[in-house]
Amino acid sequence: MRKLFAFFRRFRIFLFFAMLQFTALYFYFTSLNFPRSQYYTTASQVGGSLWSFQNHITRYINLNETNSGLLRQNKALRERLPESFIRLEDRLAKINDTLYEQQYEYIPATVVNSTFDKQNNYITLNVGWNQGLKRGMGVFSDEGIVGIVQSTSEHYSLVKSVLAKNVNADVMIEKSGAIGLLKWETKNDKTANVSGVSNDIAIKKGSKVLTRGGGGIFPRGLPVGRVLKVSPIEGKSTWNVEIKLAVNFRAIQKVYVIKNLLLKEQQDLEEKIPVEKPQDE
Amino acid sequence: MNRPLIHVFRFIAFVLIQVFVLNQIELGWGILPMICPLVIFLLPVELETSMLMLIAFVMGVCVDSLSNTFGLHTSSLVLFAYLRPWVFKRFAPREDYELNKETNLFTMGTNWFVTTFGTLILIHHLWFFLFELADLSEIGFLIQKVLLSVIVSFLLCVGLQIIFVKKPKER
Repeated sequence: MRKLFAFFRRFRIFLFFAMLQFTALYFYFTSLNFPRSQYYTTASQVGGSLWSFQNHITRYINLNETNSGLLRQNKALRERLPESFIRLEDRLAKINDTLYEQQYEYIPATVVNSTFDKQNNYITLNVGWNQGLKRGMGVFSDEGIVGIVQSTSEHYSLVKSVLAKNVNADVMIEKSGAIGLLKWETKNDKTANVSGVSNDIAIKKGSKVLTRGGGGIFPRGLPVGRVLKVSPIEGKSTWNVEIKLAVNFRAIQKVYVIKNLLLKEQQDLEEKIPVEKPQDE
Repeated sequence: MNRPLIHVFRFIAFVLIQVFVLNQIELGWGILPMICPLVIFLLPVELETSMLMLIAFVMGVCVDSLSNTFGLHTSSLVLFAYLRPWVFKRFAPREDYELNKETNLFTMGTNWFVTTFGTLILIHHLWFFLFELADLSEIGFLIQKVLLSVIVSFLLCVGLQIIFVKKPKER
């Protein structure tokens, strides 16, 4: 027993070091894939307020770009207002539309903190579960998809941006209809890759890449980017498709969070699929 | 010189600079300068290792929670604190360390500072980027990141000391 105590006394500094190291690294590696707490991120109350304050000071830098983006979107929406149309048939009465049911709602949000040059990039938004945000909701800006909500606090939320490992959004390539997964492996915040595109499908350079709407995170047809380069992978039956991302992550200010009203229905249905380990590419 | 207030102030200032300035600017080539180790480095020599590691841990948590790195800074700062006494012992000056004297660039001399701080910060950065990349297939990129960042961090730390540390009077 005494020997044991002596041992501990001798190595107590190393043991303390090992303990701290283990805590930090355990938290690091688990947080990368399975975030549990928002307290240790910029979505916490303290972190969020600090970053809001910082954003309050620096947001003017990108104001021009943000404004012109919003203006563009406003124009597109205004063109769809009833006032922009001439009524061709006056005799028909307007009836409530039962053909369409609302599936997606959008929650506007402001980016208070974002990075684009790290190994995994995150974005902090100024809305939290108070505004109805939940983990796993999609986020997009008027340019294209931005990321997926990872954790939320009362007034803030942390979004894992497309510029991170394991985002894996379902995407399709326009015209050819090829489907694949969005991956970000490059060190460049302008480009990403689409993996799993079968190489018997011809893919044109410059064709649009859109969301596929699987998983219920993003609606079908949101822009992701454009095909930049298509090259074969040796020994595999898939293309390596490099795309140029639609969103400029260096000047991201206003985004929308997607609330899928029918998500539960889809998930309940998909839960009935027998579980199979997904194969890596 | 070694009043606790200076260290507390330095602690807060360095965390804020690291989070709101250095983590935000993009220098390219994967450079990420980190100056927080300097605070740990300048803590009194007589401080116990466990206390040193505790301070490093708290500092790392502060930086991590504000920059979404989930413990990367914490881990590497704790390593820095753990190795500091060992490196200090290895490179001790002939007449040992004087108590109540800060171990900065001016009191200890350029040669001593370059070897000790250089060694420690190299290990710190290597640890940080190793776990950040978590992928040994890109070893070239890792080395490039580590070396360039070490150079920038080191120059920043020297610059900060030249500007803010009071130089001892010539005897």
